[in-house]
Formats: sequence, C-alpha cells, structure tokens
Amino acid sequence: MATVIKSTTPAHVNRRRVRVTATSTGIVGALLAVIAGSLFDVRPPEAYGICMACHARDLVDWVLNAAAGTHLTVAAASLVYPVLTPIGVLIGALIGAHGNGEFRFQRPDNSIKTFLYGVLVMNCALVAGGCSIRLLLRAAAAEPAGLIGFGALAAGVIAATRWLQWSASQ
Amino acid sequence: MERIAMTAAIATLVAGAVLGYLGQRSRMCFVGGIRDYMLVRDRYLLRGLLAFGITAWLAFPLVTAVGGAGVGPFGAPDLLTIVLTALGGFGVGYVSTLANGCPFRQHVLAAQGALSSMTYLAGFFAGAVWFHAWVAPMLLRVLP
Repeated sequence: MATVIKSTTPAHVNRRRVRVTATSTGIVGALLAVIAGSLFDVRPPEAYGICMACHARDLVDWVLNAAAGTHLTVAAASLVYPVLTPIGVLIGALIGAHGNGEFRFQRPDNSIKTFLYGVLVMNCALVAGGCSIRLLLRAAAAEPAGLIGFGALAAGVIAATRWLQWSASQ
Repeated sequence: MERIAMTAAIATLVAGAVLGYLGQRSRMCFVGGIRDYMLVRDRYLLRGLLAFGITAWLAFPLVTAVGGAGVGPFGAPDLLTIVLTALGGFGVGYVSTLANGCPFRQHVLAAQGALSSMTYLAGFFAGAVWFHAWVAPMLLRVLP
C-alpha cells in the first residue's frame, strides 16, 4: 500500500509575514537613538537618544512637577517638554501585539517581588546614568564612564545567570 | 528653544513607537542576550545587542560628519562617577536578569498584557520619584 505523506503545516503558516529579528531591531534602534539624540538642545550631546529609565524618570518627574509643583530632577533634554520614549514604546508594542493576536492578560506570580525589582532597577539605573540600552549607547559613543557601566552591566547579568543556574541545581 | 524641545518630544515618541513595535515582533531584550548565550548557547538576542552597539558606534561619527550633533566630547570621569556607574550598572544587570528582562522588554511585555510587567513598571515609575525625593539627597549628604 502506498503511503501518503500529508503536509502537517497549515497553509497560512507558509504565508507568514516578514519576520523581525533581534538583529534588525538592534540596527534600527541604534539609528533611531543616535538621530533622536542629535535633536536634543543639549551641548555637548550626551548619548541620550533612548533610555528606558532616564526617559521614564523625566516623564514621571516632569508631569509631577507640572501637576503638583514639585521640583524633582529632570534631564536637560526634558526641561521644556518631557521626552516621550516610554509612551512610544508602549504604543508601538501594543500595536505589534494587537495586530498579531498576541495581546492577552497574564496573571503575575509574585507582585511584591516584581514591584521591588522595578524600584531596584530604576534606582540602580539612575545611579549608573542609564538603563541597559543607554549604557550600551554610551559605551558605543566611547564615553569612558559608559564603557565601565556597560562592562559592569554585563558582569551583573553573568553573575545573576550563574546564581540562577546554581540555585536551580540545588 | 521651545520648538526644539517640541521636536525632541515628538522624535522620542516616534522613535519609541518604532522600537516598541520592532521589539514586540523580535522579542528583543538587552540583558537576555548574555543570559541566553550562557544558559543554552543561543545567540539570537546577543546578535541584536551587538548590532545595536556596532550601529550606534558607526552612526555617531556619521551624524557628526554630516554636520549634526553626534556625541561628546567627554572628559575623564572622576573616581566617584566611576564607582557609582560600576555599582549601578552591575545592579541593573543583576536585578534585570532576576526580573526576567531589561526595562525595555518589561515595557513591551506590559503592552502585551503581562500583569507582572505592569507591576514592574509601577515599581519602576515609583522608583524614579523615590530616587529623586529620598535616595539622591541622601547620597549627596553621605558621599564626598
């Protein structure tokens, strides 16, 4: 009897849209960061085009200062109007998730721990002067402190991964 | 000055939206690359990290060459800056790995509906206010 080999792949998978890779995201992201940074009215320019931590700080502090009359610190680039990177990223990711049917609410596993992680990462990033993206951007700009910061970031990731490996093996 | 500030605000909104979309499609993460390579020798995210660094490194002098504001010059950092940058950078890397993603990835996951990432962002934004209201003044008193 002849065996019939049926294709198990549904037809729609073959008509998949263009796949966005991490590499192309990195290239486009870096170009956007350099161009956005060149539009700031800050001299000398300080590799500030994209930073998830500093820009979120600028936005939150700027809004609080405007609404409640506080005098929290914002970067020179955000004195008149705040930078809007965090809102942009949320909108862009929402469009991407929604357009591809990937939006769904997922329950958190440990809210207090996650909340504290957020507080800790923001505080460390503001001490270092950048989140992981901006530390890399500063390192790419050959800023001495930026190179140290990115090196320390990589060391932190390695240490934490080793710790996770160790605690999983116990 | 007002107009430049408006341009900068809109530019960051647009740049953020493009990066957010690409980041959602590609699952890009700026700490995940090193972690994945160490755990399972997966180079996918690591390539994104390298691509970002190399492109920015090439683009800064290119922008300067066409007459735009590239970057720098930078003076040599003092010892305190070096120590704080190193400690802060280590902390960002360590805690971001425990939290399962860099701040950028957390923004993307929150926009996908992950409630844990929304909780993380609540802490992230509250942390910024806390830093400037308490931590920074305290550091300024304690440090030389």
